[in-house]
Amino acid sequence: MNFELQLVDFAKLVMFAIVPYILAAQGTMLGGRTGLFNVAQEGIMLLGASLGFLGAYLTGSMWAGILLALLTGALFGLALAYFTTTLKMNQFVIGLALFFIGLGLSTLFPKIIIGVTLQPPLITTLKGVPIPVLSQIPIIGEIFFNQNWLVYFSILLSIFLYYFMYKTSYGLELRAVGENPKAADSLGVSVSTRRYLTAIVGGMLMALAGAYLPMAYTGTFTEGMVAGRGWIAIALTFFGGWTPHLILLGAFFFAGVEVLALKFQVGGSGVPYQFLLMLPYIATIIVMMFAFRLVRAPAFLGQNYDREKRSL
Amino acid sequence: MEPGFNAKSLALRFLPDLLAVVASFVAAGIFIAVMGFNVLDAYETILFTSFRSVNGFAQTLLKFVPLVLLAFAFTVPLAAGKFNIGGEGQMIVGAIGAAAAGIMLADLPMVILLPLVILAGVLFGAFWGAIPAWLLYQFGINEILTTVLMNFISFGLIDYVATEIWKDPFAGHPTTVPIGAGGELPLLLTSPPLHAGIIIALLVAVAVYIYTDRTSAGYELIATGANPRASRVYGINVRRMFLLSLILGGALAGLAGSIEVAGVHQRLIEGLQSNFLILGIIIGLIARGNNLAVPFVAFFIAVLEVGASAMQRTMMIPGEMVFIVEALILLFVLLSDVVRRR
Repeated sequence: MNFELQLVDFAKLVMFAIVPYILAAQGTMLGGRTGLFNVAQEGIMLLGASLGFLGAYLTGSMWAGILLALLTGALFGLALAYFTTTLKMNQFVIGLALFFIGLGLSTLFPKIIIGVTLQPPLITTLKGVPIPVLSQIPIIGEIFFNQNWLVYFSILLSIFLYYFMYKTSYGLELRAVGENPKAADSLGVSVSTRRYLTAIVGGMLMALAGAYLPMAYTGTFTEGMVAGRGWIAIALTFFGGWTPHLILLGAFFFAGVEVLALKFQVGGSGVPYQFLLMLPYIATIIVMMFAFRLVRAPAFLGQNYDREKRSL
Repeated sequence: MEPGFNAKSLALRFLPDLLAVVASFVAAGIFIAVMGFNVLDAYETILFTSFRSVNGFAQTLLKFVPLVLLAFAFTVPLAAGKFNIGGEGQMIVGAIGAAAAGIMLADLPMVILLPLVILAGVLFGAFWGAIPAWLLYQFGINEILTTVLMNFISFGLIDYVATEIWKDPFAGHPTTVPIGAGGELPLLLTSPPLHAGIIIALLVAVAVYIYTDRTSAGYELIATGANPRASRVYGINVRRMFLLSLILGGALAGLAGSIEVAGVHQRLIEGLQSNFLILGIIIGLIARGNNLAVPFVAFFIAVLEVGASAMQRTMMIPGEMVFIVEALILLFVLLSDVVRRR
């Protein structure tokens, strides 16, 4: 393969790999902008992958799998909002508990429902949907406009979220809740309604991010297949300064590192593959060293709001 | 003892926890019944396997050692208000350190080699905990994130050590050659084998309790967690306390790694960290960070874990079921606190 073809191939794979990062990070951003810091991404994604796969496998319809994953994510988001916003329990502790439950259920369900099989059970993976005319453009068409529909969806979603957060009054209210819930509350903006809403939608996006892995990558569910992408999504959210458009840009970097590590492994770079496997995580940590200096997080991130309390 | 201590108040104090445990067993029981298994048989196996035979009890103690240490690796930083989710990586890197010492210095006599193996694990674990601690201290990076990411890095590291550096060519699974005989922990029982790591774990449990609850240095740690701003006003270097707590957590997890190498496997085996990290966090949270309660909760979870593998063997119920029970216990225990507050 010549260099130009390799580059196109690489760019195409990056576009393919950004989806779980974008979806999970935008989900994290939504909750975070209202002050609700979800740390259960990894668990919700695993369960989304597991149930998304099972739903598609049992019914033969990808949509059933996606629907099941979305419902699961919504349920986890609802649980997070209920425990933290209504019961005022610690967000990190509840997030960890939900992570554990998602992790446990993700392996339990396939074991109960499918059991151990000699051949891995498979679903048909998502196909590329070439966009008329645009996909005919040389190079660019192949990279950007000949992808599966979730690639288009995640990019359009990011653009929509940018518009929603910064150009609509509801988006302004969401941001106000995360910056100063007391002030928002005094203006009649319900803090808990906003937090419930963002937690539920955020959970759905995370579960969808998980479901993408069996549906686009492997065609089957394997234990721990999320492989830290949920945690990296948190890093990406910080990296993007909790803004939809910068998260979209940052996703290219994180997906790029993932694909690069993969390419090196296949290509035989001389570096032991174990060190290539570490690459995405090391890159994430290094990026964080800069991100935490340059960008700011919502002021009320991770803190519950109690309107009866005197001080914030 | 607290004033007004008596049997009744003690019972009242633990009643919500007991109810939480019962509630999770009931909830999971419904699930098991729906799956078509005999619930009572399943629970009998889960709860009593540890106490039916010497072997079962020894298995429970062997599980207890890493569980209690990983729980402390979580609760000690938690006392300062920091979440250490990196016990897994710290344990793995500790095990690598212990194995490296045990293999490279294999010919040394036991009096020197064994302490070196244990110490290497502690230091390596502390080092792995020090990286996120430093990133927090220097750059203010959220420790939840960095401690977790360090776990994933350690997976590559142990694989490299076990397949490239000291690979055992006859093992099917990534494994190193054995450590020197002098590096092995002495056995308290030979059949079933029970190593002396349990003594180390109990000593550590006492030491952690004394440090956090009975010394002024430990008080600074707890004060930092309770109210960082007030602690700073009173002259405690809060950021240094964060640093210290995460390094201590790493050392405790590293110790667990070296005990697994020196006591259980006598070599480095990929996967030796099992799911001790998550169970350790569950233990620490069920104990609500109370270091006196941690060993008791850890023992209870060890009983469930040994029961879980017996249940999987004899009844073909997936062991994950017990993990769900444990996660539910955690959730219900946390909920009981909310109820108590009202």
